[in-house]
Amino acid sequence: MRRKLVIFLIIVVCYILQTAVFPMIPFLGAVPNLMMVITVSIAFMQGSAEGALTGFICGLLLDISNPGPLGFSALLFVITGYFSGTFAEKYFDEDIKLPLLLTLVFDLVYNTIIYIAGFLLRGRTDFAGYLKNIILPEVVSTLIMLMLLYRIILKLNHVMREKEKKGIYSLWIRD
Amino acid sequence: MAVLIIICIGLLMATISSSRISGPVRSATGFVVTPFQNGINRIGTWVYRQFSGFQDVKHLSDENEELKAEIEQLTLKNNELVQNQSELERLRTLYQMDRKYSEYDKIAAEVISRNPGNWYSTFVVNRGSDDGVAVDMNVLGYGGLVGIVTQVGPNWAQIRSIVDDESNISAMASNTSEPCVVNGNLLSMDSGKINFSALRDSDNQVIEGTAVVTSNISDKYLTGILIGYVADISLDANNLTKSGTIIPAADFQNIREVLIIKELKTTAKELES
Repeated sequence: MRRKLVIFLIIVVCYILQTAVFPMIPFLGAVPNLMMVITVSIAFMQGSAEGALTGFICGLLLDISNPGPLGFSALLFVITGYFSGTFAEKYFDEDIKLPLLLTLVFDLVYNTIIYIAGFLLRGRTDFAGYLKNIILPEVVSTLIMLMLLYRIILKLNHVMREKEKKGIYSLWIRD
Repeated sequence: MAVLIIICIGLLMATISSSRISGPVRSATGFVVTPFQNGINRIGTWVYRQFSGFQDVKHLSDENEELKAEIEQLTLKNNELVQNQSELERLRTLYQMDRKYSEYDKIAAEVISRNPGNWYSTFVVNRGSDDGVAVDMNVLGYGGLVGIVTQVGPNWAQIRSIVDDESNISAMASNTSEPCVVNGNLLSMDSGKINFSALRDSDNQVIEGTAVVTSNISDKYLTGILIGYVADISLDANNLTKSGTIIPAADFQNIREVLIIKELKTTAKELES
């Protein structure tokens, strides 16, 4: 329970960073998608169920501050979380390579779908231009952010998980 | 023992009676002792100097620390003043805007968050329906039109800026009053320009630098608010209308405070009903 609260706190802090801090930094070419970073990281550490839940919260937060219908990003992020979580049992969460690949793929997919839904349907057909100027800068900055944040999230999750286990054991002993 | 006492007394008597004897004795002792005294004195001076030097160093380092702290304080103060200065300038421009469009009732608001992605240029301000903000109210920034309110909560309002890709404004050239459409474009946003199109200008009166303002036939934007200045203009393929780019008057890079006009445009439809 406490671990989930901590994860929720991480999400909120990152959301504030993403909306109020990163857009103000002038040399940052694109705002990194921290929500994607968290969803993939948590899913890869904790599995599909928690990944999907994290994705839902992250996506909903994005939807709230984006114009357009609620649930659009949430749906995509739930899928992202669920799919990323399927690797959790087979791979050690210390290895950052797979989260990097997952983030790369899902951020590309997420942005491409935004492009199709929000821009292509309004007659903006220059996909190459959008890919070069909007999507790729975001993907790159997101990957950099993943590299910076993954260790921290991993460590936090590890500590909290240990505490959780201890809590369970002490409960058994008391009984 | 007795001999020694006798010598002492004799010496006493001799020196009291005349100083002639004490001179050589004194000088003899002086000859032997003075170098030692001198040496010791030098050592003492050296020690004293070292000590006082050390005290000086300590004193200097104390002073240095004090000065450093003072510099730090002054730098902090200076930074604060510089910040205040820039804030003052920002607020002054905003105040000028307020005076420029003085016929409208406005409310100042602070930008508290931006769009989390890179696709839309929307931002959220700290005023909402509690302060009388409603959807479709026009928003002014430093220099000109910034955007329009798209969503409203009790203490926040989301504003879509005019550089957003989905923004379409019915505008007109300020000198000819010919209507045109101004729309944001994500791809040309980096160059700081927005597009306009469908401008009729058969007399070539609209040139680079012509001001573009919101049009009187727009149903959401109040009339005559400055959008920006024409940067380049070219004739469309249809030979009738012109299109080109506009440099917005408002600065979108570092937008911090905005003015929301608390007045909605009354359309003919509303008047009928």
